[in-house]
Amino acid sequence: MTINRPIRWLGGALAALLALLAVASSASAHGPDPLLTTQRWNQNQDVRYAWRSGAVPPSAYQGAVNAAASDVNASRGSQAATFGYSAGASSLIGYGVGATCGTLGLACAAPNAPTSFTVWMREQGHVFDWGSLRWCQAYSSWPDGCYDVENIILDELGHVEMLNHHANLSGEPDYLDAVVQTKSRTKPSAGYSTHRFGRCDVATLQVQYDMQSWGAKYSTCLSLATTLAIAASPTAVAKGGTTTLTATLKVADVASYSRLALNPVALRTVTLQRRPSGTSSWTTVGTMPRGSTSGTYTMALSLTARTDFRAVFAAPSDEGLVGSTSPPVTVSVGQ
Amino acid sequence: MLESRWVRWVGPGVIAFGALGSLAAVTQGAGPRSWTPPPCPDPGGPGGIAAAPAPAGLADLNLEAWFRMDPVIDNAGTLRGQRVSLGLDGARSIRTQLLPVESFAAGPFGGIVLVGSDDGARSSLQAIDVAQGCAWSLASEADVIRRATIDPSGQSVYETRVDRATRADLGVWARPLDGSPVRRVLDPIDPDDRFGQTFSTEFGWDPSGQALAVQSCGEAACRTRFVAPNAVATFGALAEPDLGTMIGLKDGRLVGYLACPGFPCPIITTDLTTRARLTLADQAGIGVLVSTQDGPRLVHETFTPAGFALRSVAIDGSGATELGPIADGLRLHATPERAEAATRLPSGWALLAADGRIAPDGPADRGQLRHVPDGASVQLDEVIR
Repeated sequence: MTINRPIRWLGGALAALLALLAVASSASAHGPDPLLTTQRWNQNQDVRYAWRSGAVPPSAYQGAVNAAASDVNASRGSQAATFGYSAGASSLIGYGVGATCGTLGLACAAPNAPTSFTVWMREQGHVFDWGSLRWCQAYSSWPDGCYDVENIILDELGHVEMLNHHANLSGEPDYLDAVVQTKSRTKPSAGYSTHRFGRCDVATLQVQYDMQSWGAKYSTCLSLATTLAIAASPTAVAKGGTTTLTATLKVADVASYSRLALNPVALRTVTLQRRPSGTSSWTTVGTMPRGSTSGTYTMALSLTARTDFRAVFAAPSDEGLVGSTSPPVTVSVGQ
Repeated sequence: MLESRWVRWVGPGVIAFGALGSLAAVTQGAGPRSWTPPPCPDPGGPGGIAAAPAPAGLADLNLEAWFRMDPVIDNAGTLRGQRVSLGLDGARSIRTQLLPVESFAAGPFGGIVLVGSDDGARSSLQAIDVAQGCAWSLASEADVIRRATIDPSGQSVYETRVDRATRADLGVWARPLDGSPVRRVLDPIDPDDRFGQTFSTEFGWDPSGQALAVQSCGEAACRTRFVAPNAVATFGALAEPDLGTMIGLKDGRLVGYLACPGFPCPIITTDLTTRARLTLADQAGIGVLVSTQDGPRLVHETFTPAGFALRSVAIDGSGATELGPIADGLRLHATPERAEAATRLPSGWALLAADGRIAPDGPADRGQLRHVPDGASVQLDEVIR
């Protein structure tokens, strides 16, 4: 027990350091989207909207708006609010002049979670200093230079969720990592008709609204430290006796991780390693099967000598989790 | 020479929009019949009327001018024109002009509302004396006049222009109302990828008239340059991509939003000398500057679980005060360029209106006044009878 303490402290310090690095990256360019507001919807809240009386979007655009709502629901990757049309709903989407928009922008959003929201979109032909706004959906054949209503409203619904504009790298090589962007793109620029949240949009939604399941993948725009613990039961066996090793994988307990902190991490690959007590080289035993509790992995072994065990979670390439290794646990073997 | 300048008919600036009568407009309010103002007989021009002081008290609101712009949209959702409604706060009659797609209204400057319109070949600018129901034609330019303002002393009109073919910025031009030659007072703004193409250029005056803010905004963020009209010189600029639209300029401080995609949004002041920033509100909705006996205050909406409420704070950050909830259906009336509607109020008062804009039938329609020093409310139609 006393041997494990400094190792645990070191592990905690390392997790904290990794967490700080993750937070630092989110504060500068190419991290998860920043927050527009701290007011959240309830998890999986079904938010309904209607068309604003006197400013109803034309039918050509209503379909695109509803499609954008479906895009949110399909790509949120989290328990963020879902959206759908219902006549008479208190949240309103309007078309034309809106006092909340100001003089700039193609559309604007004003969330007031968890109660309601408003979204306004400019009218086709609205004249800006640079020229006239063209919505792609106004044309049977979309002309170059048009803005896709579905993409723009997806951006606005991202704001409604609580997302602010993604901070891009210089030159915007990471533009496709987020739909919620400061500068919208027109046909045929890359990303102008993206119809799902980008990984850095999803990252913030996951932090704020949590995962849909413990086995779901964390956005690669995140870099979340994990903690891995291992326990043996029993910790002393007779020669040839069997012990069951249980590893528990969690997201680290870091305040900035918000709802993701301490999440069980299930359905991943956790490897068991062993060494004879008193030696330094580890040998891989194998992949630990899934345990009965989310985020646990178990393996039973029979032992003939005192042995140290540890669990290893290697950082996956397809999600935003940092690998971790458990402190060792020692199983004694009697005569 | 000067006299003839002011008696030109305003016809070129107003396009006959008979065809618009058949359009199914998304907008509300008066019908599409267009009013054509007769020329104003006063050879002295609109400067004197534009320099009229703000109403001293609520009893003076009857004769204050108001305007509201609305898009005229066809069944397919395409903008076909603009409609500007004009009236006096205490009068029932409303005058309506139908204008081309590229049009704007600004003011009121005293009793004057500036209306700009572009017919695709020329841009026209007229100064409408709302009380007298007449207009002076101020300009007819080959370039596109995007926005215009009158300085508080009523001496000059300032215009932003873009090139008709390329839409390139052509800078800011001053048009003295005494007939002196028009001159450019601010160069075109340089391209900057951080801000992208310019969506809008707006004016904001320090109430003293000693400084004019010219704000050029991209899709989300804004750059602001400052002109000293008397010196006809720029004296500074703010070009930080986290800054959004301005709310007002006062005593060397620019009050405005950060670059947000909507609301809620922080409101800050930036000291134009030191560039120091001060946050006045973390999560604000619509905000306006209101003069009070104790100095200018920011009045802004706050978001609460029960709906919108009002808060005020001095622009030095002191004396934050809650002004109570906003009734359902009402919002704080935004700045003129944001609301595309405006009227003038006595010192110490803020206007609440349906959807944050003067109603199509005028300010008295559901309009409510909130007294900033003590939060007292008054129905507008009760004070203008």
